[in-house]
Amino acid sequence: MPLSVLIVDDHDGFRSRAKRALELDGFDVIAEAADIAHGVAACRKHQPDVVLLDVHLPDGCGMDCAAQFAEAAPSARVVLISTYDEIDMASAAQQDGVVGFLPKAELSGHELLARLDAYGARQA
Amino acid sequence: MRPYAGNTPVTTSQTAPDDPDFALTKAVLHAALDCVFVIDDAGTVIDLNPAAEVTFGYTAEEAIGREMAELIVPEALREQHRQGLERYLATGTARVLGRRIQIPAIRADGEERLVELAITRAGALGNELFVGYLRDVTDQLAAERELIESRTRIVEASDASRRRLERDLHDGAQQQLVGLALTLRLARDRVESDPAAALELLDEAAADLKAATAELRDLARGIHPAVLTEGGLRPALRSLATRSTVVVDLQLGELPEERLSSAVESTAYFAVAEALTNVARYASASRASVTLSCTGGGAHRRLHVVVQDDGVGGADPAAGSGLRGLADRVGALGGTLTLTSPSGDGTMLLADLPCTSS
Repeated sequence: MPLSVLIVDDHDGFRSRAKRALELDGFDVIAEAADIAHGVAACRKHQPDVVLLDVHLPDGCGMDCAAQFAEAAPSARVVLISTYDEIDMASAAQQDGVVGFLPKAELSGHELLARLDAYGARQA
Repeated sequence: MRPYAGNTPVTTSQTAPDDPDFALTKAVLHAALDCVFVIDDAGTVIDLNPAAEVTFGYTAEEAIGREMAELIVPEALREQHRQGLERYLATGTARVLGRRIQIPAIRADGEERLVELAITRAGALGNELFVGYLRDVTDQLAAERELIESRTRIVEASDASRRRLERDLHDGAQQQLVGLALTLRLARDRVESDPAAALELLDEAAADLKAATAELRDLARGIHPAVLTEGGLRPALRSLATRSTVVVDLQLGELPEERLSSAVESTAYFAVAEALTNVARYASASRASVTLSCTGGGAHRRLHVVVQDDGVGGADPAAGSGLRGLADRVGALGGTLTLTSPSGDGTMLLADLPCTSS
């Protein structure tokens, strides 16, 4: 079973390219959303394995609302994404449900799996 | 000034009206632009000069013999003023004597003004007399406040434009470059396994790069057009006119051939850019004219920038931040910005700038 992914990002161009890249690498992108409100709703509806959550969204900061996604889909693992790579991972890791951070330009199935595995190893 | 003829006559042998020294003193105070009030130890006006009459709206006949506090001190401060005088007479302790202070004062018509006041003792005349020198500084203070406010607006406008720039970069070129990175990564992974797909991805990447380049070029032109830096106002304005969505009649015949200072050039350029943007957005105009000319010479040379359209008029200079920012920018160079926009009769923006060559 491929891992299912929800992409929450307000740039259409990025979402379509991220979806193509992940699907070619064997992920199943089951939903997309352009803001937090629609993202949380889609998360509740689709119960994805992974949420790719942009840090800068029109209706708030992805880092601050990760807990809403964790609450909407308790088994989902949230990976924060951003155009910038200045995210303080120590504070990101303190957010409920956040398992890692990935700069947008480095996104690929391989990099995403590496973040999920690193989290799994920390938890083990 | 008149011989003292108020409640406390102080005319002495030293101050006889026919004394030449007295006549000189009188002439000096008469000619002063600052207001001069003379009061006695009861706070009663015993004389004032013409400047005081004009500034406060009382004739000497109306003012002499009345308590000064009642005439020009605002009601809320009167008691304090009276107590100050009493305290000084009783103890010799003065808070305001011999210093310049700023306080509100009222005119005969009730209008409150801010004045700079200095009170000194003139006890040499034998009686305890006080002289108040006042200058109306209301307009000066208002101008200083406006200067501080406009400087603040310039700093805020600069901050806002940096934020806008960051956002434009983030939402535009940066997203295109992120997409490009993802596409290139995919292409690399497929070079051997699926060369045809890799080729297609590379074509897409080239298109993304072209779009990002165009985006960056537009952004750079908005920050400071290269054509203005390199070629000056003529080619920069021609480029603006070409890109405008309304027909622009450019009149540059009276613009000097030599380059002007970069501050004047860029302010004139952004005045035209802002005006043409507004014409395109709001004026419903079919044509606009842009005329630049210079008058005067040397230190008095001025550049006049006029943008006129045949649209609906009724533009409000206070409505947007664009025109206010432009007015601050023009004001910072010592120029003036005038907007004339009667409803139904087109809009004219005139920027008048002191102008030096580069």
